[in-house]
Amino acid sequence: MKTNKIILLFFSILTALTTITACSDNDLNLVDPTNLSPESFFKTEPQVQSSVNAAYANLQTIGLFSRAYFFMYDLMGVDASGNPQLEADKVQYANFSFDSNHANIGDYWESCYRGINKANFVIDNSNIINALPDATISLEKKNKYISEAKFLRALYYFLLVNRFGDIPLITKVPTTSEGYPRSPKQEVYDLIISDLKTASTDLLDKDVEQKGRATKQAAIALLGKVYLYLEQYDLALAEFNKLNGKFTLEPNYFDNFKEETEHGRESIFEIGYEETLGTGTLWNSGFTGAGQNEATLRGQEYGFNNWFNTYPAPGLLADYETGDSRFEDSFYTDGDIFEGDVNQRIIRTGTPPGPVPSTEIYIPLARPAAWRKYQNYYKRANENGNSSINFKYIRYADVLLMMAECESLRPGGDQATAISYINQVRQRPSVMLPTLPLTLTKTEVFDAIMHERRVELAGEQSRFSDLIRWGKAETVLASQGFAPKNKLWPIPAREISSNPAISETDQNQGY
Amino acid sequence: MKKTVVKQRLLIRLMKMTLYQFLLTLIFSTVTMANSLNGQGKLDAKVTISVSDMNLNNALKELEKSADVKFSYNSRMVSSNQKISIKAEDELLSTILSRILKPLNIKYSLISNHIVLQKEDNKKEHNSSFSQQQKTLTGIVYDANGVALPGASILVKGSTTGTSTDFDGKFSINVDNSATVLIISYIGFDTVEIPIGDKTDFKITLNESSQKLNEVIIIGYGTQNRASVTGAISTVKAEQMAALPVANAVEALQGRAAGVSIVNTGGPGSEPLVNIRGFGSFNNTAPLYVVDGVIVGSLSGVNQNDIESVNVLKDASTTAVYGAKGSNGVIVVTTKKGTKGAIQLSLNVLTGFQNQNKRYDLLNTEQYLQYAKDAFGTIPTTPSSQSGVNTNWQDQIYQAGLVRNYDFGISGGGEKSSVRISGGYAEKEGIIIGTDFERYSFRANSDFTLGKLKIGESMSVAFNRTRPELDGGGRTLLEHAIKSAPYLTVYNPNNLGGFQGPNASGDTNDAENPVRIMKLPTVNNKSFSFIGNIFAELEIAKDLKFKTQVGVDYYSTNNSRFTPSFNDDSLGATHTQNFATIDKGTSFGQNIIFTNSLTYDKTFANVHNFQFLLLAEKIQSKFNSLNATSRNPISNDIDNILGSNQQIAATSSSNEYNKIGYLARLNYDFNNKYIASASIRRDGSSRFGANERYGWFYSGSLGWNIAKEDFMVDSDFSTLKLRGSYGISGNDNIPNYAYSAVLTSDFLYPIDGEGAAGTTANGLANPNLKWEQSEQLNIGLDIGLFKEKLTAAVEYYVNKSDDLLLNVPLPTSLGVNSGSQYRNVGSVESKGFEVTIGYNDYEGDFKWAANLNFGTSKSEAKSLGGTVTELLGGDFEGESITRITEGQTLYHYYGLVMDGIYQNQAEVNAVFTANPSQTTVTPGDIRYKDLNNDGNITNADKTIIGDALPDFTYGLNLDASYKNWDFNMFFTGLQGRDLINTNIYDLEGMSRLFNSGVNVMDRWTPTNPSNSIPKAGGAPQNTSISTRYLEDGSFTRLKNLSIGYTLPSEVFGQNYFSKCRIYISGQNLFTITDYSGLDPEIGNSNGFQSGIDRGAFPQPKTYLVGLQLTF
Repeated sequence: MKTNKIILLFFSILTALTTITACSDNDLNLVDPTNLSPESFFKTEPQVQSSVNAAYANLQTIGLFSRAYFFMYDLMGVDASGNPQLEADKVQYANFSFDSNHANIGDYWESCYRGINKANFVIDNSNIINALPDATISLEKKNKYISEAKFLRALYYFLLVNRFGDIPLITKVPTTSEGYPRSPKQEVYDLIISDLKTASTDLLDKDVEQKGRATKQAAIALLGKVYLYLEQYDLALAEFNKLNGKFTLEPNYFDNFKEETEHGRESIFEIGYEETLGTGTLWNSGFTGAGQNEATLRGQEYGFNNWFNTYPAPGLLADYETGDSRFEDSFYTDGDIFEGDVNQRIIRTGTPPGPVPSTEIYIPLARPAAWRKYQNYYKRANENGNSSINFKYIRYADVLLMMAECESLRPGGDQATAISYINQVRQRPSVMLPTLPLTLTKTEVFDAIMHERRVELAGEQSRFSDLIRWGKAETVLASQGFAPKNKLWPIPAREISSNPAISETDQNQGY
Repeated sequence: MKKTVVKQRLLIRLMKMTLYQFLLTLIFSTVTMANSLNGQGKLDAKVTISVSDMNLNNALKELEKSADVKFSYNSRMVSSNQKISIKAEDELLSTILSRILKPLNIKYSLISNHIVLQKEDNKKEHNSSFSQQQKTLTGIVYDANGVALPGASILVKGSTTGTSTDFDGKFSINVDNSATVLIISYIGFDTVEIPIGDKTDFKITLNESSQKLNEVIIIGYGTQNRASVTGAISTVKAEQMAALPVANAVEALQGRAAGVSIVNTGGPGSEPLVNIRGFGSFNNTAPLYVVDGVIVGSLSGVNQNDIESVNVLKDASTTAVYGAKGSNGVIVVTTKKGTKGAIQLSLNVLTGFQNQNKRYDLLNTEQYLQYAKDAFGTIPTTPSSQSGVNTNWQDQIYQAGLVRNYDFGISGGGEKSSVRISGGYAEKEGIIIGTDFERYSFRANSDFTLGKLKIGESMSVAFNRTRPELDGGGRTLLEHAIKSAPYLTVYNPNNLGGFQGPNASGDTNDAENPVRIMKLPTVNNKSFSFIGNIFAELEIAKDLKFKTQVGVDYYSTNNSRFTPSFNDDSLGATHTQNFATIDKGTSFGQNIIFTNSLTYDKTFANVHNFQFLLLAEKIQSKFNSLNATSRNPISNDIDNILGSNQQIAATSSSNEYNKIGYLARLNYDFNNKYIASASIRRDGSSRFGANERYGWFYSGSLGWNIAKEDFMVDSDFSTLKLRGSYGISGNDNIPNYAYSAVLTSDFLYPIDGEGAAGTTANGLANPNLKWEQSEQLNIGLDIGLFKEKLTAAVEYYVNKSDDLLLNVPLPTSLGVNSGSQYRNVGSVESKGFEVTIGYNDYEGDFKWAANLNFGTSKSEAKSLGGTVTELLGGDFEGESITRITEGQTLYHYYGLVMDGIYQNQAEVNAVFTANPSQTTVTPGDIRYKDLNNDGNITNADKTIIGDALPDFTYGLNLDASYKNWDFNMFFTGLQGRDLINTNIYDLEGMSRLFNSGVNVMDRWTPTNPSNSIPKAGGAPQNTSISTRYLEDGSFTRLKNLSIGYTLPSEVFGQNYFSKCRIYISGQNLFTITDYSGLDPEIGNSNGFQSGIDRGAFPQPKTYLVGLQLTF
């Protein structure tokens, strides 16, 4: 009896306990107050635009243009040579000793795929975007936004397929953690071409689009470049010809590499930097693109009055014709004025004979030359860690030289026409080198193109890819340690370890 | 008869406890309570009793039964052969007591619901005519903590003259002039004999005897007698932690408890790493901290001098009651409460300094320039390279730091209330320049009894200020100090900021001036914490109590860093910042815990002891933060963020976390001999999706007190207990909202010169995310021999964690922004032994005690859920050092095996048989073992080369005292732990030209065929993760050494204080290790990083003098 009463009491009080503590399932239903939810997105034009903006941000990573990209390509293509202070992983580009653990190669891979996923986020939601009322976004704008995403997806895939060959081809935002196997590179090219075709019709003209965004012309130029890489010269030429009249060369070669003259008449697509927008996460942005990475480290890394990690390769210096003003525009050598220095010191090379006079400054390590292209030294004596100078991913001089190549190599190509494209580049007002005779043979034209591309695009990360597609890498780069396997990079170890659909046996040959 | 004595001892021990502990103890003892708790009412109760010619003890027991009261008295005081007879019917208890006790010269008083018996003052017994042969002695009796002891017995040796101390611990006794010695005794304490001499006033301190059986252990949501504990609990007492100059109370636990690993890392004020019984999870393995019933994030706000005891709960039977938070173990901290009786004031002061003199042996300027020329063909061309300066950069970053602690505590209380307030100040300068820690702390604990209602609170506030070690460019200060060229000066007034750094003069300029890194910025990290609870407990019926408690853990931080612009070399800036940066961050967080519980405590038939607990709990957590940074390119004078500044970046965030739990627990024992307990808890957490929000956690345990069996009566075993437990506890240590998919807007790209903000999907949702479960089995044996003079405990445990919450890396090609997804994958098994052995010799002038604890732990990944084959971490120079794979020790190092140096091309060719044309590796490079025999050295030749988990850890504590001298020596250490010392890369890597260790002078050259140090430059593989960096991190460390002297209380002629102890002590005075680095005590909360020494802040040696005073 007494026990029963106690049991009854216990259970009444248990009920009371719960009530008093006021526990409720609703307390467990919490919504993240800091981040947007997917359900509430893609309702307004600023939201659509914002989703597109995110896809650009991965261009500015350590793994791509902010840092690794210029080291990788300049060192592999021997535009640049490493000074003793060059970090060990960078030395591995120069002597082709990298393997699948190479951190920056992984960063490059991941930067591209992060960008692709952001582009897919836009493209995957195109149904929702297209269903928005025209009053919210016009049809033209809807197409343009989706095409910006397609342009960027194509660009990232192009960067990948050139370096890794067969790669996972992903066109959707993943909903599960399952990985994709490698797809034949032809399928990747098919997607790139299809995306760029859409982009080249739906993107806005460069005259009306905001500076920095992908334009119709950027898509056309990139599509032409892709066709060139596939050796489909006629298709490439057809695209390049669409750019007629839209671009001219900068009269002054050096204006391509200054902050003040960005998005000029020669510029087709640039990787944008603006350090005043913030550089807070620059060093931490290996591949995510998140945060403020609005500067490139190139100036700091290459500058002779800063870290001076690389210097212009002797072979590159030797390739310039006498009197080619592009040499002076690209490099500092003995006797030049240190322009950005308040004291206007004279630049000297070699080992200082003793105390350096206050009127002089020596390029360290007795190097014969140092980089001027893409440095801020034209206006300041120090790089100050960050640079706002945009990278020209494609500029018209490059297009002209690609056109020359296509014309020369296409079946039935006209060598004289090809030479005239080269001559346009040589006849830039600030350069004004003698024109090449229009009578050169096809082989001579090709040699001329190889030379002209090297000096015109020195330090612009073009050389290595050119040597690969020309089949010249094995001979030209043999002394650097280049082996046939190095035509492709290894699939990063971090992809193999995280993707069940790719195993070690799927690794590129030789790695 | 034996039983009665035990019971008496228990009762009398209860008297010295605080009211709070007293009540909690009652729950677990066999004591039954009177119907009426009102004291006066109790004496007014009507009682019927009839005894004749019974000894007093038994008569009082009868009375206890019939009146439902409890008596407390010193058995010495009440002569047991005194026979009494009494017959009463419905008489007032007070009357009955008067009738029995008056004739025996015993008075009674009601204290804490107990009727305490005391001898009437002896004065009355003695005729004044004897006064010329007598004198009056007075005094006070304390325990070792300076708490007055009421009811202690005072006896004149060789006579029957005696008395006992009153409520305030005071006594007064008339003795014959011929009396020479006083004997003071008290149950549970060692008896002392005090010579009388000419003294008339005494301050006497009694030391607790080694009887531990009746010790009360604080467990989750309650207390238990040690005798009835069936789980694995380690207890650390206040006295073991006191007087150590720690910034965080957790540091003081290091080495004290078997199976509890504590690694001090970083500078003063940084959070130590705590790990109980190995790695049971891939996530944070930090235990749960509970302070006075409040779950807190850290003990950094708790002054260790306020701590009464720390109980570490290690197995399921003790942790499952914390349900979804208990699987990493629980550290339960109880703070000191007010004491009844005389007001106690205690003061602790200590001061000293700490330093660290161990250095790496680096090249001096002359050696460096020679090395640069010989190894790299480089002659640094900067003017300063020929200046003849020789800077020892390591000496520049270390300093001797001041250590100071001041604490006071005052406590007191009356019959129905008690209070303790305390305050402390601690200051600790780090051994790295610019680092320090400072804390002001205050605490007030009090409780009040109002009839059947008891109300109490404990509140503490702490203000901390920390200046941490800073890094430069992601490299530690030590790395900068090693690599910096010795020819550089530290300071140069011609450079902006006043410091000198390297320039691009030939040698490599990664290293920044470490002194500038620490000294140029102004850093102030302040935090405030408030931890408190308030509770009310009501006895709603006989044996049934309801308790409600609200606990709060509130904390805020305010961090600022101001770095003026600088240029470390005006001739060619490699380290420069042409603007001032201002970083400000504030945050606040709070946990509110609302707990309601019901306990029912009952003994049936005197032997069946039941305790039943029902509990409902709700936890609400909130966190908010605001961070802003800006650059000021025009001024170094303003350390605030101005609206006109460029590049202001600000972010704020907030999140919430709620939890609901219900718990039921039954503890049962049969006559303290056979013990069983079971608990079940249901928890719901907002961290999981609606599908899997709730989880069940349970435990069961059994214990057998073999020593209580009849057949053991004559044995030397005072304790022999076998116990076992099994259960499931959980873990929801993942970020909030991890189950849901959100967008992130943290992207920026310049369009038309403006920042265009980007938004994208952050990650993959996982609505099926659920608890991590840890299935824990524990078997223990407790042994006590020779009245607990020798004690030992052995534990064996197996913890198997399933459904481990793991942030599984997604295939990188998916490009998902979060990069990973929380999933329940994999399982881990940890098992090990723990042994604790103690020996206590508390007799004679020379007393000593030794305590050894020893623990092994082995953790193995059983499964990774099939989605990934390995998990990598611990990046170093682009490679991963640490790996988890199925079937192997958690967090093992994975690398190549170094096998000497190639001395000639033939040796190279002999290894690279499948790749003969390779040009990278040449003589002088490291030879690695071709483990897969494929004629090439690749990643496939990597193997498991070691792991960061020690084979065993131990602590050895030695205490000794001789008369007034006391001595403590405490060793801690571990064995069989491997470390990866990446400093070797900085010291001997020689991949580029930096300053290096002197060993590079002995590098391989064609004329110096070293077999341990490769040539300079060399193949990239030379710096691959390999056994080259692997070192044995085993060590034994003298953690503490102290020598104290307690001044005799009459030393200043008068009794100013009850205790005055002065001591000197040293911490970390020596370390025995083969480790070549500065300090083998390496840790990281990230398991992948836990054994990698990247230039860690070494633990300093500390030298202290201190004073402890009690009034």
